[in-house]
Amino acid sequence: MTVTILTSASEATPADAHVEGGSLWLRSDELLAATGWELKPEGMCRGEICVPLPADRAVSVVRERDGATWVDVAGFAGYVRQTFAHDATTETWYFGPGPEERRGQFQLLDAPDFELPDINGRKHRLSDYRGKKVLLALWASW
Amino acid sequence: MWQVLRNELAGQNFEVITVGCDAKGAEVEREFIDAANPDYPCLIDTKFVVAELYNTRNVPALFWIDERGWIVRGNDPAYMTRRDPDTGVRTPNERYMDVVRDWVKNGSKSIYVTPPDETQSRIGSSDESNQQAMAHFRLGVYLDAHGHHAEAVAQFKAALALKPDNWNYRRQAYNLGSADEYGMTIQEAMQTVGPMYAVALQLPDPPAS
Repeated sequence: MTVTILTSASEATPADAHVEGGSLWLRSDELLAATGWELKPEGMCRGEICVPLPADRAVSVVRERDGATWVDVAGFAGYVRQTFAHDATTETWYFGPGPEERRGQFQLLDAPDFELPDINGRKHRLSDYRGKKVLLALWASW
Repeated sequence: MWQVLRNELAGQNFEVITVGCDAKGAEVEREFIDAANPDYPCLIDTKFVVAELYNTRNVPALFWIDERGWIVRGNDPAYMTRRDPDTGVRTPNERYMDVVRDWVKNGSKSIYVTPPDETQSRIGSSDESNQQAMAHFRLGVYLDAHGHHAEAVAQFKAALALKPDNWNYRRQAYNLGSADEYGMTIQEAMQTVGPMYAVALQLPDPPAS
């Protein structure tokens, strides 16, 4: 079954993904596009940060098979306390923010920046309006 | 009403930005936005990105961001119109509009700007269980949009089990299906999990002039 992997910024259907129990094994060359993580000699890396994998941990989340290196991204998420949700019927997985995105996220007085489209599809960043007072109003139709 | 305020204050370095938090996005928001006929940006947030960043759990939620990009007042549950419960007639929320006018005029000296610790406490902070609930919610939104309603409901229920008082999750989930699927109406949920707004709109009285 095709596995779909979602993050707040991406949607990927890796060619080779295996679900085994609570594990989600991805080939290391498909890791970056699907999750934003990369397997490097120093550990699992995303952007500026790397999470070292201790030998006992590496045994459980990294394996060599069929001439490729595989990473259990669900097991790794548990290790770094990255939240995720899984629907087994459709094999769809959603991964929440990684440790580097959570850090400082709620130092709120510095208004968190974001980019979103308007009704016509034109993108706006909050920081485009720096230098003005901005009344930011969240609403919904429901 | 935002347009009225915006027209009046646009020459004073002021902008309104609205963020519509709707899984169905423009499809359901367009009629409201067209009716407002806005000159200000009306952004569409189908993934509740801003709700997550600003730690909101219901709408409306209003934040004041100053010229430096700092939040100087946060999480106001203020509607821009008020509905008379007897007549159903909507009138502008003049009180809140006056409060915004005061901020635009007086900046950090406005009595409605809150000190940093109060601003922080009004916004609160997220935690790991909220991150987990958000993962379930986002997965649910995706599954629903892709024709897997039953699976979506299971994810929404998981989100609500963790955060029963997150009205963004509850109201959006009910909107994509029905309250029956969750065994509790909105009114019953309010009885069970408490009020819809984490903090009331607290405005100091205007100074006697």
